[in-house]
Amino acid sequence: MEQNNELENYVFHTRGVCPPEIHFRLSREGTIHQVRFVGGGCPGNALLVARLVDGKPMNAIIEYLSGIECRNATSCPDQLARAFAAVKKGDLQPTATFKVVEDADPRDRICFIGNLDGNQEVLTTLMHAVKDERVHAIYSVGNLTGLSEQNDNVVSMINKHEIQAIAGQLDWQYAQGNEAVPAAPLSLKHRDILLRLPQVLAFQIGDQKGMAFYGRYIQDLPGYSDFAPFSLEMNMVCDLTRFMKDESVFPALEAMTPQFSVRLVVFSESGDWKHHDVGGVMFLGIGSVYENGFIHWGLLENTAGGLKYQVRKTPFNPE
Amino acid sequence: MAESVKALPNEIQELIEVSEWDMRTRKGVDRFRELKARSLPSVALDGALLYESLIPGQEELIAEIERRFKAKNP
Repeated sequence: MEQNNELENYVFHTRGVCPPEIHFRLSREGTIHQVRFVGGGCPGNALLVARLVDGKPMNAIIEYLSGIECRNATSCPDQLARAFAAVKKGDLQPTATFKVVEDADPRDRICFIGNLDGNQEVLTTLMHAVKDERVHAIYSVGNLTGLSEQNDNVVSMINKHEIQAIAGQLDWQYAQGNEAVPAAPLSLKHRDILLRLPQVLAFQIGDQKGMAFYGRYIQDLPGYSDFAPFSLEMNMVCDLTRFMKDESVFPALEAMTPQFSVRLVVFSESGDWKHHDVGGVMFLGIGSVYENGFIHWGLLENTAGGLKYQVRKTPFNPE
Repeated sequence: MAESVKALPNEIQELIEVSEWDMRTRKGVDRFRELKARSLPSVALDGALLYESLIPGQEELIAEIERRFKAKNP
């Protein structure tokens, strides 16, 4: 089997079929790997197509897939053929290693939530509490899922409450079907939602740009580059400062912040609530939502006196 | 910092092997932490951190290199 780091990732946006995206990987020699029809469609047939083409040369497969009709004069196999044709023609380029989504609207009040660990009750209570905060956006930067029977419900609620989420490490593993420990099953629909979550959320509060990410697993993704946008910020948080735990290296961090593309860096892997201002950059560590009998969230405001951050909490007694 | 090392006279350059580490990279950060450095710029000689937060003058750097070379090559 080829090493993962020799494969390039592709995402094809379909037309006329149920799954909105097809994800696949190609070797340099054009061998197909890990085809996945994402976001809808017939899972059985989709899995069959993926299994049949896996390990086959792209050029030899196109003719077998092309022209098959289901609806709108196309089909999932036909769309896959079009994806391969687009790669051959140069119209479809490999995707970046990690996905970045930008919240384009500048905000003045943002709520940050950390690890939910698949706890629906906690999320429900949190949403009631945050409602009174009149925030302009809610960003989830921790794991949505956990060792929980409620993972499906939590993922549903994220959409319902218009929470902008990034993929935590466990979410990523669920999406890949690589849960490290036995965990409650997650529906295919919700796995696809997790798969489409970005690793990095770029945002703006007032006139300050920020970025939020979970942690170190992003650096381990195949093809990660130290020179991609936001890699510097992630390398400094994860590796130099060990999630802002090693204050002895803050002088070095301060020397590097002029090269940052943002003035706020938010992370959550360490599970600790942290707030440091170093070299003109605000670093925020977002802790778990439920801890020690309380539900916590971070509130970031753009005020006349500048950015103001506080950790808020409310008591919670699980039933 | 790298420029001041590159500006050393040829006869000194021949005594040393220079490695430059980019702090934007994970390898550079790993090396920084191995040396137990705290600030930038940092210069190490023979794997030991010698200068931090400052760029040594040419004369001082040359003297230190020569001293170490002589100690290893009596």
